[in-house]
Amino acid sequence: MIKMKNLVLGYKKEKILKDVNLGIKGGEFIGIIGPSGAGKSTLMMSVVGGIKVFDGKFKVLGHDMDGIKKKKLRKIREQIGIIFQGYNLVDRLSVLDNVISGMLSDIPVARAVLRYYKDKELKKAKEYMDVVDMTKYTAKRCDELSGGQRQRVAIARALAGEPKIILADEPISALDEKSAKKVMDILKRVNQTYGVTIVANLHHLDVAKEYCSRIIGINGGQVVFDGKSCELSSEIVEKIYTTQK
Amino acid sequence: MLIEDLRKQSTPFKLTNIVLASMFLMILSYSWVSTKMSFKELFDGWGYMVSYVSGNPEIEGSSYFPPVLDSADLKNYFWAMVETVQMAVVALVMSVILAVPLSYVTSRNILMILIPGKSVLHEFLRRGLYAIGTFIANVFRSVNELVWALIFVSAVGLGPMAGILALGIHTAGVLSKLLSEGNEAIDPGPVEALTNSGAGFIKILAYAVIPQTMPHFVSMVLYRFESDVRSASILGFVGAGGIGFYLFDKLRGFENGSVCTILIFIIVTVWVLDKLSAVIRRRFI
Ligand SMILES: Nc1ncnc2c1ncn2[C@@H]1O[C@H](COP(=O)(O)OP(=O)(O)O)[C@@H](O)[C@H]1O
Ligand SMILES: [Mg+2]
Repeated sequence: MIKMKNLVLGYKKEKILKDVNLGIKGGEFIGIIGPSGAGKSTLMMSVVGGIKVFDGKFKVLGHDMDGIKKKKLRKIREQIGIIFQGYNLVDRLSVLDNVISGMLSDIPVARAVLRYYKDKELKKAKEYMDVVDMTKYTAKRCDELSGGQRQRVAIARALAGEPKIILADEPISALDEKSAKKVMDILKRVNQTYGVTIVANLHHLDVAKEYCSRIIGINGGQVVFDGKSCELSSEIVEKIYTTQK
Repeated sequence: MLIEDLRKQSTPFKLTNIVLASMFLMILSYSWVSTKMSFKELFDGWGYMVSYVSGNPEIEGSSYFPPVLDSADLKNYFWAMVETVQMAVVALVMSVILAVPLSYVTSRNILMILIPGKSVLHEFLRRGLYAIGTFIANVFRSVNELVWALIFVSAVGLGPMAGILALGIHTAGVLSKLLSEGNEAIDPGPVEALTNSGAGFIKILAYAVIPQTMPHFVSMVLYRFESDVRSASILGFVGAGGIGFYLFDKLRGFENGSVCTILIFIIVTVWVLDKLSAVIRRRFI
């Protein structure tokens, strides 16, 4: 699904990630760990074309990302769901409208503007609200929800786009332990029932170890570990989290 | 040592503050003197004001009080007041239709959604639209509605239509500026989320922008409605419809008792509309 070969990524003139070699297959649950500022978010956002490619080969869902056309990029984006640390929901809209906003590419403009949905769209929305256990609150405005509930709505919205990949940038760092566990459980369920590839930046090492089938460690813009979570020894952990200079 | 630093950092007597305050005082005093403002004259003129308001005892109806309550006149005033409000309603719809698109092209963040590219051409297009939109809004806003009314009276003749066009154009300029401030203050998060999921401009507006700007929009539009009613009530001075026709007529004829009645009509109407808009505003938070 995602292939990176000798990839160099960054902003304007600044190169942030150097010589990245990664291959990500369908159905994987990947945790990216590393100290703050290591380049985790940069790596993740490069998958939807927001980051400059300096050098190397970069393919997402079969498309070359270097110099990609806008139309093609939109096609790719439709197949990728993103979950943000700050949820990025529309506070003044209901849970239902927020979930449906994730499937807008399938709804004609006129119906989208009128918020007039067909049964099959409502059915899909209900299915995803069931997955994240929010069916009880469909009419609630999102500003009345707790952080954990909002993140679950965000997952349902990402699912509504029927993505092949879900990118989650620190999905639980703003949540308490219990809500975080619920969100991670749901991501796991999404991974298993829909076969969606999940790539998550995680602050908590133990959470990453518990949920992810594969862990990628980044430090100072370089991939310093890539393997199963059981292979993550304390030496490697130290290497990931000590600042290089 | 440390306390000294903190004192320096927190003192209100900074050079910039002193310069700003003295500049303000200079502008104020210069303007006050140039315009010959004087408390003394206001005091001395008090007596004249009282005699103007209380009228000449030899001319009937030249006093503001009591207001003249002739039933035929009251009926005329009532319907003229209704027409005034109707003018404001139509003008408001017109100005919203003009102001919303104008406010989008004069909001940098909305322009970035409309024309997202990073190339020189895209940047040029964005700047071009921004400049054109701002220019149009400035012209609409800077020309007073009375002047617009004179222009439109010459085009479409006497009557409320000229007044509606005048109010619509002027308010479109004002609203455009007010709304674009609201547009620029939205949380970019939801926009980013929808952009990433492949939604186009209109869908992003409908799901991420408009829901966020709604309370500000409602509040600004209601404020402009009230202000349009007030303006509409003097557009009759230049023959552009509404209760201003009677107001001007009675003022000119020194029939101040009737002027007072008309003013009461306007004050009560504005007061009622103010109450109504408070109710509407509360529903849109
Ligand atoms: N928009 C940006 N423009 C320029 N530099 C950025 C931008 N975003 C992040 N960076 C820089 O890229 C580096 C990696 O940031 P990031 O990917 O956010 O790290 P992480 O997510 O691991 O904390 C940091 O040094 C940061 O300052
Ligand atoms: Mg980050």
